[in-house]
Amino acid sequence: MKFRRIFGVILRNTYTLKYNYEEIADLIFWPSMDILLWGITAYFIKSLNPNFGSILFAIIAGLVFWHITWRNQYEMNINLLKELWNDNLINLFSTPLRFSEWILSHLIFGFVKMAIGFIFGIFLVYILYSVNIFSLGFYILPFMGLLILSGWWMGFLMVGVIMRYGQRVQILAWAFATMLSPFSAIFYPVSVLPGWAQKISMIIPMSYTFEGIREVISTGNFDVEKVLISLILNLFYIFLAVLWLNSSYKKILKKGLIKAN
Amino acid sequence: MNILEVKNLTKKFRNVVAVDNVSFELEEGEILGLLGPNGAGKTTTIQMLLDVLIPTSGEIFYFGKDLKNNRESILENIGFSSTYTHLPHYLAVRDCLKYTSYFFDIKDRKKRIKEIEEIFQLKEISKKVTSSLSSGQMTRANLAKAFINFPKILLLDEPTASLDPEAAKEIRDLFTREKERFKTSIIITSHNMAEIEEICDRVLFIDHGKIIADDSPGNLSKSIKISHVELLIQNNLEKIVGYCRKNNLKYKIERKYICIDLNEEKIAGLLDDLSKEGIRYDEISINKPTLEDYFLQVIGKKKNEI
Repeated sequence: MKFRRIFGVILRNTYTLKYNYEEIADLIFWPSMDILLWGITAYFIKSLNPNFGSILFAIIAGLVFWHITWRNQYEMNINLLKELWNDNLINLFSTPLRFSEWILSHLIFGFVKMAIGFIFGIFLVYILYSVNIFSLGFYILPFMGLLILSGWWMGFLMVGVIMRYGQRVQILAWAFATMLSPFSAIFYPVSVLPGWAQKISMIIPMSYTFEGIREVISTGNFDVEKVLISLILNLFYIFLAVLWLNSSYKKILKKGLIKAN
Repeated sequence: MNILEVKNLTKKFRNVVAVDNVSFELEEGEILGLLGPNGAGKTTTIQMLLDVLIPTSGEIFYFGKDLKNNRESILENIGFSSTYTHLPHYLAVRDCLKYTSYFFDIKDRKKRIKEIEEIFQLKEISKKVTSSLSSGQMTRANLAKAFINFPKILLLDEPTASLDPEAAKEIRDLFTREKERFKTSIIITSHNMAEIEEICDRVLFIDHGKIIADDSPGNLSKSIKISHVELLIQNNLEKIVGYCRKNNLKYKIERKYICIDLNEEKIAGLLDDLSKEGIRYDEISINKPTLEDYFLQVIGKKKNEI
């Protein structure tokens, strides 16, 4: 693995930001809209009953933390789609660039964009609603780590799907994380879900992560068990997603990168 | 010295054999043309040579090393350009060259990018985003990208397809210069027969995935016995048309010119007959068969066989 080649892909994606203002807006526009809409809704709920203060915090924290997973997954998928839209995959892989280096560069690039959006979100909720995410202390770090892992396996999974089935399934780049969000217990506990949905939640690592976050918010307790379950599930899915990703890349090489579209 | 050896390369897509047991070599400093009709297997062959398409069977050796196990070190020395691929839309030309340069082990990237921009006359457009380029400018930018790593071998898939004749000529001259200066070897596919004839040392003629001829463009042309006799006829054009019909000769009329295709050995007889028939011509030119004639004859034969 060569760092300069990873840097080359990061440079390629960074240069796009110079000319495509839509991507810069995308960094802050959607998180801001979500924070405004859901934040005001939570504020309204709190106004009905002052005891619902922790609900406001939980909903807003859910929004800010969900951005971590969504952004990491989305960046990987959208960067593959960009290469497909531009017919540029062959230009990349007819050089010594390895597939693993290309993936790693998107993990790094996605992480940086996620960090910008996350910090912006933290800043915005503090300004708008006086919610201080840093009050979670160092517990932020393990939760962030788990949500990044969740974004990665979803990203790997969808890169594999897009590689195999092309642009006709590109909607999944935007929709996949959203499809899992009702079962991820971002704003509400798993216990309020109907029975069948609770069963799905049990195998979704994000549900344990968000339950853990809410527990810290409401009781101050850090539930190690939930964190461990989330970690194990995330690692298991990452393992499966990497296998899937590799086999998808091999499959597309059998068809030819020229036919990847 | 062979710097590329392809052995029994085959690619099947389900039941379709796109490339069928193809073997060939490429020498240092040689320009090899891949010719063939659409769907012959030229692009598929190039894709396998770049390792962006896995062959069903067969082996590819560059510099004596197996491509499968030495991909990175081999691709460090390969340049590629194709009309079928594009540079990213939202990037300036220089940005494309910059980020691509990081994929290769280039000592002084800035200097190399400057050189490349000069060679391909990109200075004026280096800050333009690629989506605003004309197709000719885009081709030049794409070729510049292919040259960035001082390639020992260039794989070019219809590189001059969208260039005007003058620009295409400049690019052809560049290929020849590179070959002479750096002994760069080039594999080129093109539908422009004159281009292939002008720059290639050797031509592989591919049809239905198989190599059906491997020779110099001159020798391939010579294998065709048909010449073109072009006559400027001021009067009696109908008389010569009648003569051609009577003798089953293929002809084509353009204004006052008639172009008759016939075997080289029969030219003297034709001119004798015209004189006997009292058909006068004001100009005559005899054109030897070209690579295009070879192409058309081979394709024609194949169609007749089908």
